[in-house]
Amino acid sequence: MAGDAIIAEELTYWYGELVAVDHISFNVAEGEILGFLGPNGAGKTTTVEMLTGLLRPKAGKAVLLGMEVAKNVGKVQREIGVCFEDTNLYEQMSAIGNLRLFAHLFGIRPFDPYALLKRVGLAGREKDRVENYSKGMKQRLMVARSIVNRPQVLFLDEPTAGLDPTSAESIRNIILEERDRGATIFLTTHDMLEADKLSNRVAFVNQGKIVALDTPHNLKQLYGKRALRAKVSTHSGELEDREIILDTPETPNAIHELFAQKRVVTVHSEEASLEDIFIRITGRGLTG
Amino acid sequence: MNLRIIGALISKDFSLFFRNRFFALVTVLGIVAYIIIYFVMPSSVDESLKIGLYAPVIPPVFEQLQEEGLEIEVVESDEALRQAVTEGQYVAGVVLPDDIMEKLMLGQKPQITLYFASDTPEEIKDAVGVMVRELVYLQIGQPLAIEVSEEILGPDMIGMQIPPRDRLRPLFAVFIIMVETLGLATLISEEVERRTIRALLVTPTTVRELFAAKGAIGVGLAFGQAVLFMAIVGGISSQPLIILTALLLGAVLATGIAFLISSLAKDMMSVMAWSIPALIILIIPSLGVLAPGTLTGWVEFIPSYYLVDTVHQVANFGAGWGDVWYNLLVLLGFNLVIVWIGITVLRRRFR
Repeated sequence: MAGDAIIAEELTYWYGELVAVDHISFNVAEGEILGFLGPNGAGKTTTVEMLTGLLRPKAGKAVLLGMEVAKNVGKVQREIGVCFEDTNLYEQMSAIGNLRLFAHLFGIRPFDPYALLKRVGLAGREKDRVENYSKGMKQRLMVARSIVNRPQVLFLDEPTAGLDPTSAESIRNIILEERDRGATIFLTTHDMLEADKLSNRVAFVNQGKIVALDTPHNLKQLYGKRALRAKVSTHSGELEDREIILDTPETPNAIHELFAQKRVVTVHSEEASLEDIFIRITGRGLTG
Repeated sequence: MNLRIIGALISKDFSLFFRNRFFALVTVLGIVAYIIIYFVMPSSVDESLKIGLYAPVIPPVFEQLQEEGLEIEVVESDEALRQAVTEGQYVAGVVLPDDIMEKLMLGQKPQITLYFASDTPEEIKDAVGVMVRELVYLQIGQPLAIEVSEEILGPDMIGMQIPPRDRLRPLFAVFIIMVETLGLATLISEEVERRTIRALLVTPTTVRELFAAKGAIGVGLAFGQAVLFMAIVGGISSQPLIILTALLLGAVLATGIAFLISSLAKDMMSVMAWSIPALIILIIPSLGVLAPGTLTGWVEFIPSYYLVDTVHQVANFGAGWGDVWYNLLVLLGFNLVIVWIGITVLRRRFR
């Protein structure tokens, strides 16, 4: 059984009066993808900053790959890759220049930037200045930069935010490839569908606290509701929406009644989304 | 500290510096322009005081007047003299009336007219007036009843005045060094604003290595350019080790100031807004070399004064370690304080 690549124990950080991260504890197993979900200002980025050694926790501790981050920043940072939410590339340099710089900083030799750029779909544009790239291309380069050192733990902060579907899908594929290589992935996002698709487990963060942490399936089982939605035609010819909650003792009769008495136009089953569950738990949406 | 990491960061900053067209242009064209200006400026100083004289009859004492540093040229007409003084050919013009000798003999007062250009300093006007009165006293047989002896305190600079081009050397050297604050401050503030600094700080790069790299690129660029300029204009031929030490300390000062500015500025425009007042203040001591006597004691509170004075004393007067050690020590002290403050305040922006 794999050990834990990331352990957070009572991790806390505050900015003046504002408690950004409030005694959160969790662990991420080696090779696992943890989706860290929450609205803007929930404390996701501050948590990532403490886990990557950019911020020193005010209380609690973070342990990565068996090393306490605050005491072993240099050693920890050799083993991690970080892709930030905001594009922070050297835009006057080429993609190759950017990757070579980071390969030098990690002491990676020999290093083949062309292979990495091909992997993220930037073949043929390797020598272009980054300032001439589209947003999607820059984001793919950001992901490429974060895996220059073949990290054991990869932190991805909103890696697909604002991207076109093709670029987003390309990045999701790289995330899954990295997972298959054995990397542990800490995925910060407020895209519930993405988290649902990629994550082994998801943590819901709200106001600096983890309010739920489990697999998407279990969360749906625990908090969600399955339903049957139907559009029926009434005697006057108008269309009406009907919802029948599944998994209750009354469900069979309700379905029977629907089809017996009404003229069903369309019918489909509906599963609770992570967003519904988040709203149910926290009382607020993810985009707020 | 990891030299591989520092080397990679320096190489990156060097490349970014020259990819910025503005700084590349300022750096290359700046040096070329300063060198051209230097060689265009006069390489010698005319120390003589030229006075024009129009006199239908020249009294004997005026004819015999030949003092060191004083040249009297006779002009053919009153109008020509006025014209020549106006055009700056003479510092003063003296018009003697045609009946001067008769009137002097009769004990009357002949009218002597002095011409000065509108920008002639008051002390020149006074000196010429006094000289003419003395000559007239001599002419009428009433020499001054005193003997005047002259003693030069310090080196006698007669015949050794510094040519204008050499007065410019400290100004240009300081300018080249201080302009680099602009380049380095922009590099750093862009790194902070574009958040590339965060990308660096999640690699094995430490804050100390970042400062080492920024410091090396700042000192290297400023020092390299200043040395190149001074070498081309012959400023290193006398006491090269002292000049190199002074320029190196100046480059460190510029780097410390760049750290301070980049801790305040958010982009290239705000770097400019902070840098230009700093640049003007730092250049003030050079003006004292261009126009001696124009600055008072407060100039010694400006750190660049000690750089300017050292370069001036060594390059223009051949001063040695014994003459400038105090300057270098004070400059080093300023550097330690400014670099320390710069690192302390800038460090906060890295987080």
